[in-house]
Formats: sequence, C-alpha cells, structure tokens
Amino acid sequence: MKKTLLLLSLWIILPAFLLASDPDKKSDIMPEYGNWKTFTTKNGLPANKVYCVRVDGDRVWVGTSHGLALYENGDWRTYTVEDGLAHPGVLSIDVSELTGDVWIGTLGGLNRYSGGQFETFTQFNSGLANDVIYSVICDGKDVWAATGGGAGHYDTYRNEWAIYMERNAPMHEPWTYGVCAGDNKVFIAAWGGGVIEYQNETGQFRDYIDPDGEMEIDLFPDDGVVHDITTGVSHANGILWVATYFGLSRYDGTQWKGYFDHDSGLTSNFINFLKADGDVVWLCTDEGLSSFNSKRWITYKKTDQGGSRIYYNKGDTSSKTASTGIAHNFVIGVDFQDDDIWVATSYGLSHGTRIN
Amino acid sequence: MRKLKLFKPTLLLILAGILIFPMLADLAAQDKDDNYGKTPTEMLPYGNYQDAYIYHFHEPQLFTGAGREKLPPTDLTEVRIGLLAPLEGNVLAPQGNHMLHGATLAMEEANARGGYMGLPFVIMPHNDVGLWGAAANEVVKMNDEKVWAFIGTIDDVNSHVALRVALKLELPMINTSDPDPTFTETGIPWMIRCMSDDRQSSYALVDYIHIEQGYNRVAVLRANNRYGRVGVMEFRDAALRVGHPLVLEIRYNDGDTDFKAQLERVRNSNPDVVLLWGNALEMGLILNQMREMGMEYPVFASDRAVSPVFLETAGENANGIVATCQYNPDADIPELKAFQKNYKDRFGMEPDVFAAHAYDGMNLTMDAIHRAGLNRALIRDLLTDLKTYQGYQGITGEIIFDASWNDIGLVWMAEVQDGTFSFSQSSWEWK
Repeated sequence: MKKTLLLLSLWIILPAFLLASDPDKKSDIMPEYGNWKTFTTKNGLPANKVYCVRVDGDRVWVGTSHGLALYENGDWRTYTVEDGLAHPGVLSIDVSELTGDVWIGTLGGLNRYSGGQFETFTQFNSGLANDVIYSVICDGKDVWAATGGGAGHYDTYRNEWAIYMERNAPMHEPWTYGVCAGDNKVFIAAWGGGVIEYQNETGQFRDYIDPDGEMEIDLFPDDGVVHDITTGVSHANGILWVATYFGLSRYDGTQWKGYFDHDSGLTSNFINFLKADGDVVWLCTDEGLSSFNSKRWITYKKTDQGGSRIYYNKGDTSSKTASTGIAHNFVIGVDFQDDDIWVATSYGLSHGTRIN
Repeated sequence: MRKLKLFKPTLLLILAGILIFPMLADLAAQDKDDNYGKTPTEMLPYGNYQDAYIYHFHEPQLFTGAGREKLPPTDLTEVRIGLLAPLEGNVLAPQGNHMLHGATLAMEEANARGGYMGLPFVIMPHNDVGLWGAAANEVVKMNDEKVWAFIGTIDDVNSHVALRVALKLELPMINTSDPDPTFTETGIPWMIRCMSDDRQSSYALVDYIHIEQGYNRVAVLRANNRYGRVGVMEFRDAALRVGHPLVLEIRYNDGDTDFKAQLERVRNSNPDVVLLWGNALEMGLILNQMREMGMEYPVFASDRAVSPVFLETAGENANGIVATCQYNPDADIPELKAFQKNYKDRFGMEPDVFAAHAYDGMNLTMDAIHRAGLNRALIRDLLTDLKTYQGYQGITGEIIFDASWNDIGLVWMAEVQDGTFSFSQSSWEWK
C-alpha cells in the first residue's frame, strides 16, 4: 500500500516538476486575440499617437501625446494640463493596488490622480531626478519612476524619496528607462547599463550586463542580456524579460536566453515596450506585436486587408489573415482586461478580444 | 599496407580540413571595407578568437511609425530649429557658444537667401547645464516650442539623455559635437552625427603612436567622466588588439589642478609615451606639471586639446604635442575660407571645430527641411536615407555616414608647432 502511494505521488509530482522546470513543456496554450477595434481622435481620443495603456478594472487609462484619456462605460474623457496634468505627453501609467491611485508619468513630471484630484511631482518639489518619466510602477506602498537622471523611489507611507543613479547604484550613467517589480525585487532597465536589480529587503543592488562588453556585437546570445542598451523590463512567474533595440532576453534566475528576429518568432529586434502576463510576454515592436510563452510565438500585424497572425514554433511559420487587425504596426504599449487586450500604437489604440 | 590504405582517406580528410578550414573562416569573416565603424579587421572585438553571433549597425534601423501623413501647418510665421549646447555655467561653455555661433551664421545666410519659402528660420537656443538629466527637459521645451529638428549637444551624457527624448517625441536630432561612439550605437533612428567620433580618433591615434611612431608602452591619464572613460575605452581596446596593452590608465577629476600623485604613478609605469584624454585646461595643466617634474615623454592628446585654452595654458610646453581633430581648418576649401572670414567678421573670433561642424549640421538640417517640407518624419527620412546626404561636402570636408548614421569621414592629426596647430591627414585612413 505504501509503495502504491509512493508511486502515485511520484506519478503526480514528477510531471509537475518537469513541467515547472522545462520552459518548452510549459504553457502550451497561447492566448490568441482578434476582433480588433481601433480608437482614434475620431472616436474621442485626444491624439492618435498613443504612448501607453493601463487597465484599471472596468476602466482603461490611455496616455497620448496630447493628454490622458479615460475609457469608461463606453465613453472617453480627456484630462489635460488645465485639469492638473503635469504635461500633455503621457508616457506611462500605473494603478496602485493598495489605494487605487493612478500614477501618471508625463514629459513634464509625475502625477498622482487620487480622489478626482491631480497632484504633481517634479524635480523641484520632490525627489524626482528628472521630469521626463519614461516608466512608473506601483509596488505596494512604493512608487518607482524611471527617468534619464536616475530612478526615483517614493515611499508613500513615509513620504520619502530616494534617487538611484551612478553614484549609489551599479550603473555607468543615471539613464533609466524602464522599471518593474517581482519576487520582492525591483528591476530597472538602465540605458547602457543592462538591468539593475534592487532587493527590497536588503536595499542591495546588483547588475546584469552583456558579458561581451561591446556595443556593436552580441558574442553569444545566451550569456547574459543581449545588449546593454535596455528599453524595458517585465517580471512574471519567476521570469525576467528584458527588452532592447537589439533583441529580447529571458532570465529564469539561473540562465539567460536571447531571442532575435532571425532565429525566433520575434518580429523585430526593436522593442519599444514589453509586458509579461503570466507565462506569456508581449513584445511591442516597430513591426508589430509579438507574444511568446517560452515555446511558441504569435505575432499580430496590421495588413492592407485588416490583420494577420503569424505563428512560429521551432522554425515553422504559418499565418492566418483576418478582417481586422491592430491599428498600426509601430506598437508602443499593451495591457490586458480579463479576456480583452488593449494595444497602444503610433496611430491609434486597439482593442481585441480573446478568440481561443 | 592494409593499415596505410585505411589511413589514406583519413589523412586526406585531415589534410583537406587543414587547407579548407582557414579558407572557410576567411569567407565567414566580414570584408575589411564592411567592418562597422571602419574598424580594421585586426581590431574587431574578439575577432582573433570567435565570430560574434550578431554584428550590429550594418543595416540602418528604419522608422516605421506614423507621422509622415501629417500636413504642414498653415499659420507659421517662422521655421524653428532648436539648439542644445552648454552656453553658460559649464566648463564647455566656450565650445557651446562656438556651436551657437556656427549654427547662427548658417541660419543667417539661409535667411538672406529667402529662408524657407519666404519664412525666416529661427534658432531656439537651450542651455545644456548637464545636471540631473536637464537635457531631457530642454528637449521637451523645444518640442513645446514646435521646433522641426534640433542640433546638439557636446557632452556625452547629455547627448544620450536628449536622444532618448528625441525618440519619444519623434524629433530629428543632428549631433555636431559629441564624439562618444555609443551615441550612435543606440539604434535610435531619429539622429545623425556629422562629426567623426572617438572610435575614429582612437584608431588614428593607435596607428600613429604604435605603428607609425613605433612606440610600445602607453600610459593614459584621463578625465574621470564619460568623455574620458568612453574615449579611452576605444583607444585601449584597439591598442590591445594590435598587441599593445596600456601600461597604465589613471584618472583625475575635472577642476583638479594638482596632478603630481597621478604623474608619479605614470613615471613608475615606465611608459614610452603619455596619452591625455580630457578637457583642454586640465590637459594643459598636466603637461606643465609633467615638464616641471622632468618627465619628457612624448605626449599625445584627445581632440579637446585642439583649443586656444590648451595652447594658452601649456604655452611652450605644448610644442610637439599631437592630438586628433575632426576637421582641418587649413583645408583648401573655398567655402571654409568664406566661413572663417564671415565668422570672424560676425563674432570677432576665429571659429573652432565646434563652430565648423555646427555650421555644417545646421546647413544639412535646413536643406532637409527645404527638400522634405515641414514634417518631422519626412525630414528624418531624408537625413537618414544614406543617399541624399551621403558624401555631403561641408566646410569640414566630405561627410560619410555609416549605417548607424555616424560620420566616418576623415580624422586629422593636429601637432603643435611654434605655438599653433599644424594639421595633417591621419595615415591610417588610406591603408
């Protein structure tokens, strides 16, 4: 009886262990989206150039070149400088799970939208290093902002700021352009400095750089981050994904793996933004939206006929066409709302629904 | 006999392998002329040991975003072009003001010819103070001022900061004065640089010091900033790859006046020559202290030595110093002579390298606006198409862009003779 129980346990545990450790066997099912609808100024957006999109329950916040837009109950509302927005150009948005506050990174400072009011943080009234906020995230009570003058950390409970730059963190220069949180750590995409990891518990840093140390080559694709010019980071399910203008990197805590447009389903090495949603990472590139679950790829493109989905698996490529597609192939942002997807592009915002 | 028969095919295979493998390896290697940044094959990173998985910057990065469909505004009274440069409160302010003067002169001449379809070009200057990423804020201000493109800046750190905003704002950036090689190695398709970088200067110096002059042991004394770090990085790598590792690399801070501690270490490293990489004032002071300490090593210097500040500071000690320069002010180019005269008439001083390149950069920008019209994406398309302005004949000579839109044109050697710089073309250019 004992033996049977032991074998039964092994029979259950072993496959689970193998599945967990082998990315090739994990998450075989790739979510697919279609039924795309595009929003532009004709539908109520303040501008067609959409920098970012952030889902907030039933609401959708959208950052454009000419204001912050809110989509709620089928209607659009625009917030401008007159309403208290720090600058019309909205580059990044996040929502605090603790408070529901909306944090808005603009070209002219950081806003907190709370209780219907905008509060503005700039380098002159706060600990922000610079007023151009490329990325803002909420991590519990902490807010992190990536700027070209360093990464800002705001403890909302203590009302205290800290700036991390080349003088107190392992960066060559203070240029930070992306930030994300996961596993009680914060990861910062440092332009020219790879990825900086900050451990919340200890306050310690470490960096991940391209080991070959050269800008004009990648010597080995799987020896570290593929390039030191990093543009974004996202962490989910124990995996750190790193975007560059030279390809994609995946780090599972032990091993790095690089992906490029010539050896994978990544549609372009020029990655504007990325977001991991569970096991799937979404890559916003200049030639479409790629998704990847560590095994299979699907890329969404706008075509003259509407749109297409391009499937890639171990070198095999196939595609399906559809009557609808994303608004533009220059993709800048993405977020998810249950079974829906929102995509920010160079010319309009796209909304799709899951079709599998 | 039987054994020999069995061995024969094996031996033949091995022999064939020995003969064919080097040929295959040679085929796999990139042609010398195609190496990124005109890098000599012997100086390719890891080139002696391993082919890289990917070689970047061999194809230009396209801009695939929207924007070309935008119609030009109909209510303009002027056509604005931004300029980001250290104009005050910065050790580089003299050079920044030369940039402003050079760009202004080009614009005034264009306006005298009718401007843009009767509208005057107007320069929108912004001071690059260099603190806390301030360059980013200044580029945003330029965008709010509705400039069509901008020129800038000198400092490596600030150029990078400005470039990242230029990408977000989709604003063409024309760099005329920052020699940091990594500026164009970012892959951002919204910039060009019309001045040779420190990669080119380093190759020229390595060739001059190690190959032409035959020196072996180089000690480097450099500024503790990005300009010093990145410039020397290119020199160090190139020298190492041709068999001459640095014997010493030691730093000083901008504003330092006493370099004796560093110079003692230089002496202890027993170099053949010393290479200085920093701003003009400190390099002049270092040179003086070297000579005071009886250190008579030949001295070489980075491009910022080619400055009146260096000559005034070093005095007679400057004689014999060789630096690189990104243009030749003595070149026999009629347009250059006219520029030099007009500049002196207009501003009461001789133009420097920053003025000359800013003049070229502004002329390129205005020409692109003339051809493309008032649309940033279309202006960008022209500036980066590697056709329209490939081989552009400026007052600084011929501008040759590589696929990363970096100017890989000529670098000049500038030697101080009788208190003035004498210019000659770097010998490595025609190898």
